[in-house]
Amino acid sequence: MSIQSVRRAAAILRELGAGHPRLGVTELSDRLGLAKATVYGLLRSLEEDAFVERDLETGKYRLGPALLQLGNAFLDSHEIRARSLLWADSLASRTSEAVRVGVPNGRNVLIVHHVFRPDNTVQILEVGAAIPWHASALGKAVAAFREPPALAELLESPLPRLTGRTLVEPRALQRALETIRREGVAVEDQEAVIGEAEVAAPVFDRAGHPVGAIGVAGPVERLLPEGRSDDAVVAAVKETARGLSRDLGGVRRFARHS
Amino acid sequence: MTDPTGELGGPFVVRWIREAAAAIHEDREYLTQLDAAIGDADHGLNMDRGLAAAVAAVDADPDRSPGELLEAVGTTLVLSVGGAAGPLYGSAVRQMGRALDSQTFDGEGLLVLLRAALEEIQRLGAAQVGDKTMVDALVPAITAFERGLRAGEGLAGASGRARVAAEEGMRSTIPLQARKGRASYLGPRSVGHQDPGATSTAAIISALERAATETTR
Repeated sequence: MSIQSVRRAAAILRELGAGHPRLGVTELSDRLGLAKATVYGLLRSLEEDAFVERDLETGKYRLGPALLQLGNAFLDSHEIRARSLLWADSLASRTSEAVRVGVPNGRNVLIVHHVFRPDNTVQILEVGAAIPWHASALGKAVAAFREPPALAELLESPLPRLTGRTLVEPRALQRALETIRREGVAVEDQEAVIGEAEVAAPVFDRAGHPVGAIGVAGPVERLLPEGRSDDAVVAAVKETARGLSRDLGGVRRFARHS
Repeated sequence: MTDPTGELGGPFVVRWIREAAAAIHEDREYLTQLDAAIGDADHGLNMDRGLAAAVAAVDADPDRSPGELLEAVGTTLVLSVGGAAGPLYGSAVRQMGRALDSQTFDGEGLLVLLRAALEEIQRLGAAQVGDKTMVDALVPAITAFERGLRAGEGLAGASGRARVAAEEGMRSTIPLQARKGRASYLGPRSVGHQDPGATSTAAIISALERAATETTR
């Protein structure tokens, strides 16, 4: 059983977070099909805890600062993120490319840490981005080392096509995952975004489960010159993932699968 | 139906590329601004650099066949634009060049080339209308161009219709949430912003109209 007012409050937060940064009481009540008085009451309660705030000029509501604190707390709840900060910095400077750390989240891989390519260009922070697992080197690196039932479930779920190069056939993906298990590294060649590639390796916890992955992401012409990954980049990514696994008390499981 | 007002060839291609480079140069700040909302804020600069290189590539030997000119432009764009736009625009223009083996062509021939470009963009990007990409400007432009030809409006009239449709398609991206490209997995922050790719496509179609008008005058 779910509490109706909690569900309604959640719907308000989702609506404010869905690309309409400021909404008035009337707009929200129209969108949610709720009475204005109900919406107003919910907004006042959310405002008390700083989950929403009211714009003084327009009187409209937007998301509040307490959500950022919760978001950060959520990110910090992933031990791999806290442990990855130094490793990610050093991998970025070693390869001169951007570094991303991801954790599995349902059918997606969730980016929990992102270090910009160290070249002073404008880049957009991707922390919080959810990328379909099969279109991402991070997602494939984790999936390759998951237990067979979990992997089967992933392969049976919808596999949307993000570009012409996304692997959307379970068999083709399975072959790719076998290669990843053998080589300990996953490569993504413009499977999520045209022009971009990523090389990633899995990170393991104490129990030997893949809890996430760390990888180098960048322009395909630099990361995969001649269509294949650079040995030095692969070595750097694998070493980093091994170091991060060790910090988490993890063990390498490559042997068990090969 | 053939175009009654004249034949297209190498000089038309050269004009189109020059007009496109001028339009993108003019819009570069605007394109970069649009890209800053949901991308790496480099679309304007990348396209400006790439089209300047494309102009240099056609100027190196403007007497080549139109197909050879388009292939040279495409290869230059792939190499010099970068990001997603380089491979998409570059491969599309290269396919236009490969689809063309005659010295001259008419409006119907140009329609075939535009379709070849669209097909290549969709092969690479798997984007449909409504995904908030350059396809949102290109598809209506091609439909309107064909309608203009069928209505007997000639090349200038048909390309004018294409420009209007491309601009409408460009504006139609504003309320959409991106379903392709990096913006698609960054959540709803693309809503409310016009897509930079659709915007540069509309600029290139408006350059096509100017080149067609000059050629048939």
